[in-house]
Amino acid sequence: MQAELTINHLTFSYGDREVIRDLSLTLPAGTFSLLIGPTGCGKSTLLKIMAGLYPKYGGQLTSGQIDLGGRSQAMMFQEAGEQFTMATPREEIIFAMENLGKDKEEFAHRLQKASEFAEINSLLDQKIVTMSGGEKQRVALAVLVAMDVDLFLLDEPFASVDPAARRFLIGRLAKLKEQGKTIIITDHLFDNYQGKVDGVYRFKGEQVDLLTKDEQALLLDTEPIDLHFPLPENEPAAFVMKNFAIKQGRPLIEQKELSIPKGKVTLITGPNGSGKSSLFKAMTKLLDYQGSLTWESKEVAKLKERAYFQHVAQIFQNASDQFMAITVKEELALSKKHASPYFTPEVLGQALADLDLADHMDQVVYSLSGGQKKKLQILLMLLSGQEVLLIDEPLSGLDQKSIEQVVSLLKKCQEKSGQTILLISHQFYGINTWCDYHLRLASRELAFVQD
Amino acid sequence: MTKSKMNPSLKFLLTLIISLELSFKVSLVSNIIVIVLALGYLLYRRIKPKALGGMLLATGLAAITVFSSGYIFSDHRDLWYALDISSRVLVYTFTTACLTISTTAEEMARSLEQNLHLPSKFAYGTLAALNIIPRMQAAVKQIRVAGMMRGVYLSFWSPVLYFKAILVALNSADNLAQGMESHGYREGAPRSVIVEVPLTNKDWLLFIFAILLLNLGAFLLP
Repeated sequence: MQAELTINHLTFSYGDREVIRDLSLTLPAGTFSLLIGPTGCGKSTLLKIMAGLYPKYGGQLTSGQIDLGGRSQAMMFQEAGEQFTMATPREEIIFAMENLGKDKEEFAHRLQKASEFAEINSLLDQKIVTMSGGEKQRVALAVLVAMDVDLFLLDEPFASVDPAARRFLIGRLAKLKEQGKTIIITDHLFDNYQGKVDGVYRFKGEQVDLLTKDEQALLLDTEPIDLHFPLPENEPAAFVMKNFAIKQGRPLIEQKELSIPKGKVTLITGPNGSGKSSLFKAMTKLLDYQGSLTWESKEVAKLKERAYFQHVAQIFQNASDQFMAITVKEELALSKKHASPYFTPEVLGQALADLDLADHMDQVVYSLSGGQKKKLQILLMLLSGQEVLLIDEPLSGLDQKSIEQVVSLLKKCQEKSGQTILLISHQFYGINTWCDYHLRLASRELAFVQD
Repeated sequence: MTKSKMNPSLKFLLTLIISLELSFKVSLVSNIIVIVLALGYLLYRRIKPKALGGMLLATGLAAITVFSSGYIFSDHRDLWYALDISSRVLVYTFTTACLTISTTAEEMARSLEQNLHLPSKFAYGTLAALNIIPRMQAAVKQIRVAGMMRGVYLSFWSPVLYFKAILVALNSADNLAQGMESHGYREGAPRSVIVEVPLTNKDWLLFIFAILLLNLGAFLLP
């Protein structure tokens, strides 16, 4: 029997802001724990303290300590793509195995085990920089499995993973627990955990509480969200593809013909690495395509960037990429210059209040929490008022309340100004009733579906 | 010159020695022999025409500049000397190109660690930095597009573009240091070797042979 994992009167702060105050917690050995709480509450911070990265790389530990009971540990970061030293998964696993002093035979054995675990056999020699968000997360998980540590610290490991892979990986993690591993995971979605996790810990204020068995059962009892959509009929088209093809190392999309409706909200889904984000890149001229892709009957490849982006905009996965000024107020002022007529001062004021941003006007945008950044980013892009908005995973990393705020704003704005919205999302909470149509990308082809 | 399977560290040393020695010794003929051999090797390794063209253009320009300052604008005109110093520019670029075309960054890092026993921090730090470059390129492109989508045009000399790019780089560097540590890397800790970089007698023989030839050429040829 391994020793317990204990946290003793831990207080941790960034500058003047205390994130964790006098936290004491005991996690039994060999358990699978889920750590939940609103965005920016300190979940990542706690994991990084356990991983020995904080306070070395940030923040101050003012009192208390953590005792891992002599366990070896490894952590998977929220931004999985930023965690790799080497260019390919195979190289990265070699690097990790050399760090741990393993020999060639042990490496071969663990490489096989890890790539089977996360199903990354076909990705082993692909450059990580060319992978999709979900693929990077699976690779990051594989590295941890290869390291064969006792304690797995996983920070939102499934944020960009498709639902099928998510179900599969949670099942695999439960198997690891049976082999005696201790697993701590943070997540905003509670699907697929029922019967798999032993305890749910909730961040509240600067404290963490263990939910009772009843609370846990209730929380994890999620209904799968049913999707029902009509098929588009005789809709005017925003985008039209003809013999359109894109590739990123391998062929991703080969589309004979497709027309995407104008003034509607279309949900795009598909497995990890199927090419959803690459499709957006082609639409925003960041990736070359073959064949024809037209917007309003004009070939996208031939349109001038500056003129085109006054009509077509994207809300990127990483919110910070979209900021151009320093404070929230300055960002808003910048976007107001070309603001859509829908946003009168009253509407904007209300939107800021609804998003809980009204009190942060003078704050530097980069110092906002992840969820606040995302909310501000979406508001700024709605203000910009382009006719077409491409939105890539707007809800990943947002808690339920933020999701409701964001979707309600998007919905109101779209109804009033009739924008064409294309939305990539792996999670359907809040958006299943908003989207008009559903495009599914499978076997390199996009098709409208009813479910 | 360097052979395809030569040990990366020796290859690196050889390139360094050739460049150093030819910068101290005036021997135009040796320079030309080295350039021709290096060019032959690059063609044998099937260098892309575009890469070769770009290299020739850039180094050609540099060589002309050196030549003009060494001959046309010089008080003591010495054609031989001017040709020698301008051909050195080609020696440096071509030998370095021979090194990079036949060695991946991973091989080089491993060899520096295993054969030259440089600290692993240096080898992998450099490697990780190299792997950030494609990420940075993509980030800069995306920042420009994101700007245009908000009605801000960021030219390539715009301070905002660099401010944003530096933010991305700082953030990546910080994450990278943490990423290395989270994958078990500890500064100064012993590491095992899974991919060996052999350093054979043949490597040494080739290396010594090349150095001998270089010295014969540099001191005997005009």
